[in-house]
Amino acid sequence: MSLSVPGQEGTRPPLTRRRRRGKREGHPLSPYLYLLPFMALFAVFVVYPVGYGLWVSLHRWDLLAETRPFVGLEYYRNLFDPETPQSQFFWNSMKNTGFFTLVSVPLLIGTALGLALLLHRPIFGRALFRSVFFLPGILTVSVMGILWRWMFDNQIGLVNAVRSDLFGLPPVPFLSSEGLAWVPVIVGTVWWTIGFNMTLYLAALGNISPSYYEAADIDGATSWAKFRFITWPLLGPVTLFVFVTTVLASFQLFGQTLVITGGGPNRTTQSVMQYITEEAFANNQFSSASAMAFLFGLAMLVFTYLQFRIMARDARGGEEG
Amino acid sequence: MNRTLSVTALLLAAGLGGVAAAQTSTYRGPKVTLTYLHGFTGADRPVMERLIAQFNAAHPNIEVRAQAQPWGTTWQQLPSLVASGRAPDIVVINEDQITNFIARGAVSPLSDAELRAAGIQKSRFYGPLFKTADYEGKSYGVPISSVAYVMFYNKDLMKKAGVTKVPTTRAELLAAARTCTTDRAGRKPGQAGFDPKNLDTWGISLYNNWVGARMAYAAILQNGGSLVDKNLNASFNSPQAVEAVQFLVDLVQKHNVARPNSTEEAELAAFSQGKVCFFPSGQWYLDRFESQKLNFGVAFVPRIGSKQDAAWGGSSHMTLPRQRAGYDPNKRQAALTFINWMTSPAQNLTWTETGSLPVMPAVAQNKAFESRPIAGVFEKLDNIYATSGFPWGGQVLGPFDNAWANAYSGKMSVKAALDAGVNEANKQIAQARKTFQ
Repeated sequence: MSLSVPGQEGTRPPLTRRRRRGKREGHPLSPYLYLLPFMALFAVFVVYPVGYGLWVSLHRWDLLAETRPFVGLEYYRNLFDPETPQSQFFWNSMKNTGFFTLVSVPLLIGTALGLALLLHRPIFGRALFRSVFFLPGILTVSVMGILWRWMFDNQIGLVNAVRSDLFGLPPVPFLSSEGLAWVPVIVGTVWWTIGFNMTLYLAALGNISPSYYEAADIDGATSWAKFRFITWPLLGPVTLFVFVTTVLASFQLFGQTLVITGGGPNRTTQSVMQYITEEAFANNQFSSASAMAFLFGLAMLVFTYLQFRIMARDARGGEEG
Repeated sequence: MNRTLSVTALLLAAGLGGVAAAQTSTYRGPKVTLTYLHGFTGADRPVMERLIAQFNAAHPNIEVRAQAQPWGTTWQQLPSLVASGRAPDIVVINEDQITNFIARGAVSPLSDAELRAAGIQKSRFYGPLFKTADYEGKSYGVPISSVAYVMFYNKDLMKKAGVTKVPTTRAELLAAARTCTTDRAGRKPGQAGFDPKNLDTWGISLYNNWVGARMAYAAILQNGGSLVDKNLNASFNSPQAVEAVQFLVDLVQKHNVARPNSTEEAELAAFSQGKVCFFPSGQWYLDRFESQKLNFGVAFVPRIGSKQDAAWGGSSHMTLPRQRAGYDPNKRQAALTFINWMTSPAQNLTWTETGSLPVMPAVAQNKAFESRPIAGVFEKLDNIYATSGFPWGGQVLGPFDNAWANAYSGKMSVKAALDAGVNEANKQIAQARKTFQ
């Protein structure tokens, strides 16, 4: 029995393949017809706008202008010419967004993992705490932003009220101090989005078989050793997923800084998205904004490619192990 | 009996004659339907809808179909609507966008002859308000709604401190603000041991956002300065501008009668709690203070500069967008009739229910306003100036607001902050100019 199965497998697949191909020979287009609905939407909402955007970035474009002269790479060159405000503010906003990503991603992964480990244990009120940490995520960015702006208000914020009333310290102008303005943005973002990552980690923790820990207990492993050699490696794929999605979300920083600091003081918290919006809709420089969007998109593409490389290597590693 | 009847008949005839005279200047062509796009989407929407219904009932040959949508949506849609020849017949545009749309050719000029034919006299409106929608010597819009930057004052706190007169000059403002200021130990500015970091009450609210920057705008205009020069390049670093803004910054840094590093929210709360005598801001806080039963008054922004009275104002203007070739001239005539009706004294009086200021003296003189706090600024409604007249609003106002924030926080000297702002604005303007060639 067990021997005959591989034999059958060896002969049958070519047969079925041939039969299937024969059946569909009359309809070579049918796969494309099935793809058509998606392709139509994809073409209208992705390919066309991207192509049009590229065209816009190469012309001096305004919907109301009678002429839209071709200017080649002028708007891209502006981004590399230190004399233009565009290069100054675009790279400044890139730096800000990079800084935000660098600081917030480890916090968002670390605290989410920490909370998940605590709430995975059978403690009292576990379900309540899980909801409490997840709930902020359902707020819109404007609600969350106004909340944290008030918490860190230069004069009447809760943080300054506690400082002055309990400790007699002078108020700290968080919102108008370069550097400190990041505190409400980052703390607010962690509070706001931690629930999602925590839920992913909780699900992954539930999938780890208790037998590993039982075996480790018999061997006399410490809790650190159990975390380091059982939990952490088995959470690997989830950590990678959380890392990739959190990095991409952080690069798209927009609402938090817009509402909490308005990008200030002196553009020190202005994100790339916010600057592109300003250039397009406050300054009416749509071509310049398109050029920036393409450059930023290119940077994101390179970044995503690198992440996929790492992911693929990790997946192969997992198979081999 | 007979006499009274005939007098009545005479009066009626006179009245009808008046109506007939009014009708000679209105649209009498075939029936047309007009589309009307505006952004009055809040509590002002039902008032606007009521007015439109009245207009439609009174004008059987014109039907206005209104659409209300958020202003921002209109700013994004208007260019493509105009470019594709599908623009509404009438669009309301705000003061911060109007010059940009004019310069880009989105709206059509209203000739003097046209305005006259429709019965719209420029002289019935406040001068600077009407000129908000002027560009290169032509008029492009008729004001329908207006708000202004005013100075709220707390009567209780002023009485407690011993300030008897609402300040109207620089010297009065400084003196009153000093009288209103005490630290937590009850010491006054200038007294030994006065602690400016722990103010209990203070004279005036200054704050770091764009609304706070409108106080600097008023001071600059009052001093004979301006945001842009004749060539529409940024010029808010002129000596007059520096002097005016320096006075405001000195209120914080030298006289300690305003809090440093404050926000609009913080000052708003402080004013409601009776901690600050003078709160300059938009008149839109009127309802809030009235519902809080605050004992407050509204005054025109004191004259900090040496040249003229001035304050910032925002406004909405009825415009006729550029239409495709072959557009029905009857529609344009009917649209002007609608604009005239909507911006007539009777309708403007109704419109002030929404919290708008009167757009013309004839309405401001109405007795209905006599006991209202807002009437405190009516005398000087002719001195309210919008930030318009240059097609690069974003390029000028962004750097200007930022310059104010830097000067107010003390991060930069007033001169350095304004210089940096002008430098940035002019670089951006140079680029924007290329789009208008």
